[in-house]
Amino acid sequence: MPMLDIKNLTLEMQSSEGAIKALDKVNLSVSSGEIRALVGESGSGKSLIVSAICGALPNQWNLTADRMSWNGENLLGMSVQQRREVMRREIAVVFQDPQASLDPSATLGEQLEESIPDEFVQGSWFWQRAQQRKKIAISTVHKVGIKHHKHYLSAFPHQIPADIGQKFMIAMALVSQPKLLIADDPTRGMEPTTKTQILKLFTRLNQTRSLSILFVSHDLLAIASMSHSMTVLYAGQTVESGKMKHIKKRPLHPYTKALLDSAPSFRKDLPPKSLLPTLSGSIPTLQHLPIGCRLGPRCPRAQRACVQTPAVRKIHDHSYSCHYPLHMEKL
Amino acid sequence: MPQFSLYDEEFHPSPWQRTWASFKASHISMLGLIMLALFVVCAVFAPLITPYDAVEQNIDGLLIPPSWVTNGSISHLFGTDALGRDLFTRIIYGCRVTLGSAFITVVLAMLVGVSLGTFAGMLRGVRSSIANHLLDALMAIPTLLIAIIIVAILGTGLVNSMWAITLALIPQFVHHTRSFVRAEMKKEYIVASKLDGASKWQLFVHSILPNMTEMLVVQSTLALSIAVIDISALGFLNLGAQSPLPELGVILADGLDVAYLAPWNVAVPGMAIFFMVLSINIVGDGLRSALRKRVSH
Amino acid sequence: MIQILVRYCTLFVLTLLVLAIISFSLAYLFPGDTLENLTGLVPENDIQRAALERQFKLDQSYIFQFFYYVGNLLTGDWGYSFTSGLPLREEVGIAMPATIELATYAMLMALFVGVPLGYYAGIRCYSTSDHLINSVSITTYSFPVFWFALLLILIFSLQLDAAPMSGRISLLYDIEPVTGFILIDILLSDIENKSLAFKDALSHIALPTFSIGAIATASMIRVTRRSVIDVKHRPYIAAALSRGLSSWQIFFRHILRNALLPILPLMAIQITTLITNAMIVETLFSWPGIGNWLIQAIYQRDYPALRIGMMAVSFVVITLTILIDLFNRMIDPSREKYERATV
Repeated sequence: MPMLDIKNLTLEMQSSEGAIKALDKVNLSVSSGEIRALVGESGSGKSLIVSAICGALPNQWNLTADRMSWNGENLLGMSVQQRREVMRREIAVVFQDPQASLDPSATLGEQLEESIPDEFVQGSWFWQRAQQRKKIAISTVHKVGIKHHKHYLSAFPHQIPADIGQKFMIAMALVSQPKLLIADDPTRGMEPTTKTQILKLFTRLNQTRSLSILFVSHDLLAIASMSHSMTVLYAGQTVESGKMKHIKKRPLHPYTKALLDSAPSFRKDLPPKSLLPTLSGSIPTLQHLPIGCRLGPRCPRAQRACVQTPAVRKIHDHSYSCHYPLHMEKL
Repeated sequence: MPQFSLYDEEFHPSPWQRTWASFKASHISMLGLIMLALFVVCAVFAPLITPYDAVEQNIDGLLIPPSWVTNGSISHLFGTDALGRDLFTRIIYGCRVTLGSAFITVVLAMLVGVSLGTFAGMLRGVRSSIANHLLDALMAIPTLLIAIIIVAILGTGLVNSMWAITLALIPQFVHHTRSFVRAEMKKEYIVASKLDGASKWQLFVHSILPNMTEMLVVQSTLALSIAVIDISALGFLNLGAQSPLPELGVILADGLDVAYLAPWNVAVPGMAIFFMVLSINIVGDGLRSALRKRVSH
Repeated sequence: MIQILVRYCTLFVLTLLVLAIISFSLAYLFPGDTLENLTGLVPENDIQRAALERQFKLDQSYIFQFFYYVGNLLTGDWGYSFTSGLPLREEVGIAMPATIELATYAMLMALFVGVPLGYYAGIRCYSTSDHLINSVSITTYSFPVFWFALLLILIFSLQLDAAPMSGRISLLYDIEPVTGFILIDILLSDIENKSLAFKDALSHIALPTFSIGAIATASMIRVTRRSVIDVKHRPYIAAALSRGLSSWQIFFRHILRNALLPILPLMAIQITTLITNAMIVETLFSWPGIGNWLIQAIYQRDYPALRIGMMAVSFVVITLTILIDLFNRMIDPSREKYERATV
């Protein structure tokens, strides 16, 4: 049974032109122990999904879903208290910019220690508890690979470099021992060396503690190597979802194929000055969303039937929504 | 044949239009704007609106109550004061004097403050930091003190009090302009213009000044409310405008002598100052909210 | 750390020097005889005049005169007043603590009433209570302070007869001025019915403090509210929420500190406005403070008094400003130097 199960999530907002559907029947599920990648261009609504799971949506959005459950319990039906409890213990989120997610007036050690849940800290006197908090903080920080813990735990957020910052955010997320870690584009803007460090850290955490990870990104190169399964999102619609090796070998949706093709390849036999293969056009804005399949205007295989939103079809764990998928010519 | 679809004409409002649209959306701000417009109209068209002369004394009609009291008459809408002058006329002229002189003061302070601030902002090094700290420290001197000194040197009068308040308002403009210019100089579009060969003057006029107008408008509304209160305070203390010049603070001070017999002499000018400052503050607040909404979306 | 202290000390001395230059030049700028402006003494005949001129070095160049003047200031010889003939040092010594007392109580009211209300309005932003607090604060802020004080006098003193309208304490009591702060002096003195005297002093101080304090409180509420709303919308508060921290924890640990830090530099400007308002209100309440004294001096064209009064008030204000700036730098070295909160 999947841990996080989202089916037909729709996010609507009322605007002057009518209802805008930023997310249109999105399906997403994360099983335990797997790394799922959520891939899409900027503007496709990935951060909105993360906000919806956290319960931190701004007030103007209307959320409807057929199913949005965590470990079998309906997230939408929970009270605020229960939702907060789930967020505190079982789901953890790592955001994009480590510096912005840290309180600038408190040291890192203070912020880490306040995130430690009370259940892990035993001791009858408060100094025993404070000591144990410190111990847990230092061990967590070691686990993510920060070596000079004394120096960093007493530093302020504006004094630390970006990679230590992101590792520290992961440590803060881990300290409550969650079952699911949602990483919202954590390696954006990082150099390749730091990026590989963070990605290796994620893989290690997944293997040693069987921590499920929902990795939201648009960097295919990075996540192609490490994720087990992938969901592709375009302009608020899920276009394909399935195991990574199946998708890499045989992408069924034109958009997935275009994404996989557009990753720069460093093959030696490429002719010089050859164009990067991309789809023409750009992602539509919220005010001008196409009806039916939203890839329609840009898709090279689009035909008349694409004005209807395609239904989700499934082949052995590999689901896609396209009227004219690749590798499957209709007779 | 692809479907023919009509998109609405793309309407991209300019920043000022967006600010105005979100300003208009707030009812309270529009109310403040209407009140302020009323005061401005009174100030500009004072000679046309008022029935009587502002300084003409009428011995027969001393301390006539205002028209809403049973003893009053409609010919003197707000009543008369101790010397028989029509209070309504005096208030309208008072709005003109107070608002007008406050406006001139703010404009003058803005011109001087912006030039000094830009100069200080485009300078570098130890000199500028000394100048900054010195200016910050001198900014702390109370307005009334400056006014007293200037009155002692130059004598009383509306013009001298205007000089005093201009001097008191300049440091605020200098401080905000300087920090704004310093922040902008670090931005990359200035570097781009510099690489294109812009001189410092061109940088200022074409790149920095258009972006500064919003901050200046917000600062000017703040300074205007301070200037109105200070000019009327100085008039009240007889250090600024002198009787019989109709200035709202002077009218209030004149009415203080007969406050017990004729409370409208104290109430009406005070209400005039209060509503003037309130409308300026509401408009200023609305502008600030509108600008903030525009920046954050 | 030492560097910062040295910097601020030099700044302090530099500013005081500039003030002293201004104060000295006022003796020349004021209309009337320079010698009289400088000393407050009116020489009776030419021999005395020549003697005084030699004493005050008026026959030498400006620099010497200035040094002698500064020397006099530092030793405490501040000259004499035209109107009363008393040494100015005594008069300022009586008047200054009275104003400082008034300003202190008003500032305390602004801090302890205004800041919590601002926090409350900011946390519950755009709700009904927030709109209420916001409208009340903007209305109070727009009152001209002298009209507000007049209204208070008319309502409370004349109509309701609830509070007296002039002076610091009823003439029945004779309190030894030890610190100059009348409430403390009552507690320190040894008269029989201390509580009665205390109550009397409180009733005298209530109206002036309220009239200044209300406006300062309104200003604090606006500034605090804006700062809290800004902090609430920062990403780290959202990140803390996503970690499941409760609202109490978020408020006390994160919002409280971060909202307070940008407000502190604004306190210096508040103090300036507070002192200006205090000076205006003193005339209405016949409160024997330095504002009243200075305004009487200007009515009577008492130039030496003006000179010294200006020096004294500026000295106090600048000391406070620099102390507050220093305090800010020390508790929060991470911020940009010239960033200040807005309303």
